[in-house]
Amino acid sequence: MAKDEFKEFRLVGTRPDRPDGLDKVTGRARYGADISAPGMLWGAVVRSPHAHARIVSIDTSRAEALEGVKAVVTRADFPTGLTGEDWDLQENTMAGERALYDGHAVAAVAATSKLRAEEAARLIDVTYEVLPHVIDVDDAIKPDAPVIREGAADATVPEGMPPNVVRYMEFGHGNVEAGFAEADLVREGHYKTEATHQGYIEPHACLGQLGGDGKGEMWVCTQGQWFIRKMCAGVLGLDAAQLRVTPSEIGGGFGGKTTIFMEPLSLALSRKAGGKPVKIVMTRSEVLRATGPTASASMDVRIGMKKDGTLTAARAEFRMQGGAFPGSPVDMALYCAFAPYKLDHVAHVGYDVLANRPKCAAYRAPGSPMGAFAVESLIDEMCRELGLDPMEVRLKNAVREGDRASYGPKFASIGLVETLEATRAHPNLAEPLGPNQGRGVASGYWFNHNGETSVSLAISEDGTAQVSIGTPDIGGSRASIALMTAETLGIPYEDVRVNVVETGALGVNEPTHGSRATFASGKAAVLAAGQAITEMCRRAAAEWGIEPEAVEWVDGAAQPAGPNAGKFPPMSIAEIAGKMGETGGPISGHHESVPEGVGASFGCHVVDVEVDPETGRVTILRYLVVQDAGRAIHPAYVEGQYQGGAAQGIGWALNEAYIYDDKGRLQNPVFLDYRVPVASDLPMIDTVIVEVPNPGHPYGVRGVGETGITPPLPAIANAIQDATGARLRALPMNPPAVLAALKAARGA
Amino acid sequence: MDITFLLNGESVHLDSVDPTVTLLDWLRETRGLTGTKEGCNEGDCGACTVMVQDAGGARALNACILFLPQLHGKAVRTVEGIAAPDGRLHPVQEAMVTYHGSQCGFCTPGFVVAMATAHLNGDTGFDDALAGNLCRCTGYAPIIRAAEAAADQPVPDWLADAAPEAPPPRAHPDGHGAPRWHAPEDVDELAELCARHPEAVLVAGATDVGLWVTKGLRDLDEVIFLGRCRDLQEIEEVAGGLRIGAGVTMDRVLEAMRPRHPAYAEMIRRYGSAQVRAAATIGGNIANGSPIGDNPPALIALGATLHLRFRETRREMPLEEFFLDYGKQDRHPGEFVEAITLPPQPDRLRVYKLSKRFDQDISAVCGAFNITVEDGRVESARIAFGGMAGVPKRARAVEAALTGKPWTEETVISAWDAWERDFQPMDDMRASAAYRLTAARNMLSRCLLDDLGAATNVLEVRA
Repeated sequence: MAKDEFKEFRLVGTRPDRPDGLDKVTGRARYGADISAPGMLWGAVVRSPHAHARIVSIDTSRAEALEGVKAVVTRADFPTGLTGEDWDLQENTMAGERALYDGHAVAAVAATSKLRAEEAARLIDVTYEVLPHVIDVDDAIKPDAPVIREGAADATVPEGMPPNVVRYMEFGHGNVEAGFAEADLVREGHYKTEATHQGYIEPHACLGQLGGDGKGEMWVCTQGQWFIRKMCAGVLGLDAAQLRVTPSEIGGGFGGKTTIFMEPLSLALSRKAGGKPVKIVMTRSEVLRATGPTASASMDVRIGMKKDGTLTAARAEFRMQGGAFPGSPVDMALYCAFAPYKLDHVAHVGYDVLANRPKCAAYRAPGSPMGAFAVESLIDEMCRELGLDPMEVRLKNAVREGDRASYGPKFASIGLVETLEATRAHPNLAEPLGPNQGRGVASGYWFNHNGETSVSLAISEDGTAQVSIGTPDIGGSRASIALMTAETLGIPYEDVRVNVVETGALGVNEPTHGSRATFASGKAAVLAAGQAITEMCRRAAAEWGIEPEAVEWVDGAAQPAGPNAGKFPPMSIAEIAGKMGETGGPISGHHESVPEGVGASFGCHVVDVEVDPETGRVTILRYLVVQDAGRAIHPAYVEGQYQGGAAQGIGWALNEAYIYDDKGRLQNPVFLDYRVPVASDLPMIDTVIVEVPNPGHPYGVRGVGETGITPPLPAIANAIQDATGARLRALPMNPPAVLAALKAARGA
Repeated sequence: MDITFLLNGESVHLDSVDPTVTLLDWLRETRGLTGTKEGCNEGDCGACTVMVQDAGGARALNACILFLPQLHGKAVRTVEGIAAPDGRLHPVQEAMVTYHGSQCGFCTPGFVVAMATAHLNGDTGFDDALAGNLCRCTGYAPIIRAAEAAADQPVPDWLADAAPEAPPPRAHPDGHGAPRWHAPEDVDELAELCARHPEAVLVAGATDVGLWVTKGLRDLDEVIFLGRCRDLQEIEEVAGGLRIGAGVTMDRVLEAMRPRHPAYAEMIRRYGSAQVRAAATIGGNIANGSPIGDNPPALIALGATLHLRFRETRREMPLEEFFLDYGKQDRHPGEFVEAITLPPQPDRLRVYKLSKRFDQDISAVCGAFNITVEDGRVESARIAFGGMAGVPKRARAVEAALTGKPWTEETVISAWDAWERDFQPMDDMRASAAYRLTAARNMLSRCLLDDLGAATNVLEVRA
């Protein structure tokens, strides 16, 4: 569907106050740690101080003797015999024979107060035999690296690979060698990125209760209550339906709250304490040491370019460690790496590698920022070498609808060209630059995701509507879903209340991840509203004594469809709802599916920086985000996603990193040392919303949450080179790294 | 001991307070006021920001590192007390809704309170006023726009709290095994208490001791709170110089330095958030003796004298002599830091603070330069550094290499070797030894260029 086929909307595209606005500014919104229960216990977790160690013994007697201690659990309290992802989750929840990273849980305790629980945790004596460890991905992939887990490799790994390679992939199309032969310039680059953390301000928190009968409940901050339910049930050997999981308001997730960490511990402690509820709230240090940061990456990229900027071939080989478990996003990094470019010849090779670090979790467009750092940096260098405008080269090679994507499938409707054109036209590109200042450009990509989705809509007796969704609202999705529902029903925005509900209230929903909430729950809500409309038309038809097909729904009321249907005044939603008891009972709509028609989202960022030649400090002067939203349902929250993604990418590019000492212990597990950007680090980030509607969604929505974190890494590196001539190929580009690069460039 | 304070306009009286319970824990666990959030428990994220008013005005403070006795006689407002009792929103709350300043909303209560405090004080430097509040969702633009939009609105009358009458807290025989604590009314009483309880921990702003408790899980046996010693909180002009009481908070030191030594003032602005500057004291920063504390280099370069007191016995020494070795200061049992004095002088101070993040980050290197040039020659040089040794330290070899020489690039280059005689810095996660030494040398070059008026045009180190 072309853009001009969309009619003007009454509500979609407006910026009303969000329904939860008042709760959030008054402190009334309740997050993970904000709920307590009568008789509640507090849990605390004992964590390994070693990167890799055999657990020789755990003596819990001193803790158990402490007054107020009600339960202690170790791995011995968990079922055995799990396999695959269930085993990985269980092993990550609580170490078995070995502690696999600094911060790995080895025991947990529940007591009558938080202080008592912490005191008891200190009384649990764990004897370790320290083992050799490995942290860096390039060290971990060496043939003689310490082996993290025998037999962890899956069937994709050929014989003879180094022991910590657990997944291997090769894919592409065309003939890259022939493609490189067509090029006027072939260049290769080696790039590294360090692990970073999502850095949500709310630490993980839950209140869990589990009886000896296997029935339990949990209040938890999560992006996905059904994932919590499934994973906890798997780890503890419970029936999923016996667990009810209620999501709290969530204080940020960015992918990091799509899995379990201490949640099964609260249930295991509760069961052992006779079913008393157990609350566990992580400290910031636990969050950084023992939840799921992103992977670190080592990447080689080779690209062929003609003198006019046409790309002839590309090859990427990425190695990523995602901690002591399989699951680094190396596959997605490769899928996204060349996605903005039309390539006849492309090859990808990926290695998923184990290291003694926490099990990585998703972080906003998992993998895509790393791949973009490598590819968008190298393309920029080649543009410089050939004297080409990086914007023009991106446009020249841009993928369009129908093109084969670098990772295989054909692109449906996409808006990369429109995005690049809007970028090129932006006034920021005409701003003059002074000494030590430079400009960098980079593109970014994310597929977006659909996922299992179940939504229920009910019309109230007064004609207002409630929508039950299963995707927790992190960035304003209740507002966008209320807008779409109200638009569809033809009623005021304020007449719709969207509730994020517990696992007992709907069919299975995947989490709010993959930029899917406004797409998938939104589409399901619109389809559910359509069902309710059909039913309301049927009720009106019955009252008027005409065929249901002869009734249409216009502006929140049923009316005869055309002059032949009969002459009846419109029957409003309130009128129909007011007598639903007499006309057939409750009026509702449901939609359950894995919604088809996901629309991918491309973005392009332009950053201006100033580099201090004496200290290496980089200041962001100006920042522009341009991205295709499909359609912005609530533009303020679309802009919020763009700005938030860019802010996280800027932090990743310049400063954030996991820093380990030579014993493999995390050196900066607090916000004092893991520095995320504050207001004065960032300019007012400029945004342009490009709207190339997604035909797969009733209002044209693409997901917008993730693409924005991808371009900042290379865009800033490109800007630094523009300012100084120095090229940085490793993150973070903090003052020492930049100063060293400046020195090297001067020496060269 | 018992304490009295106002909480959201209502009087609170607590008997037998454990002095190491933080306001945040008390609000959330005892009082059930869960709007104030815990994001880091170390004063870095601002999610727990509360407004505290007393005779000195309204300040935003981090409740996670604020002990209950510090509130005695003050008025506290949490996010639940920013709107009117009848529910009318404060202008900053209205604006945060209208400008979509929340995404996940977890940081919002802290921002609302910090914004309401800035609003009350007429402070419109929002990048600075809000630099102690982390938001991971928005990139800050909508929050700054909301703060700007609310700035013109009048201060709601319901925020005008009068701090309650608060006599000295009464001592109770303590039966809970909680630490003993004291809250002396003046310096003389403090001197006597310190002499009698030389092992007691002195707490002024608790920005550091707070972490011993919340992070180090350290048990304190005996605590002396300094907050009621008004005579420890005075800034006086003495013989053309300045005497700053040990209990003066860094926000007031900043104001005092702005007209005298603006480079020092700007460095203070950078090293701690508004919440931390309002709590931390100059005496605490010095007495802790951190090798990376940012005050000592500037103060040493200014020729500061430290004043110590044991009962009625007073000692004074050049500040640099107080720092004996890593973690070791020249302070006798029962002795405490009473004040610091700065000699009168024209402002020649340049301070360069180098950290990975510009605001509120621990320095990799912090250098202070006080160089007097007469007829093109260096007449005297006082140069001091933090982050370059186990203690804040003067660069005596560099000073000697400059003194008497022309103030030129050649002289700066000729001092090259002197740096290594002064400093053998460490490798750590903030910077390598080599980077520290390079940066320190570059700071001297920058100092020269700045003196010569060459535009260096960069934000970083020009404080």
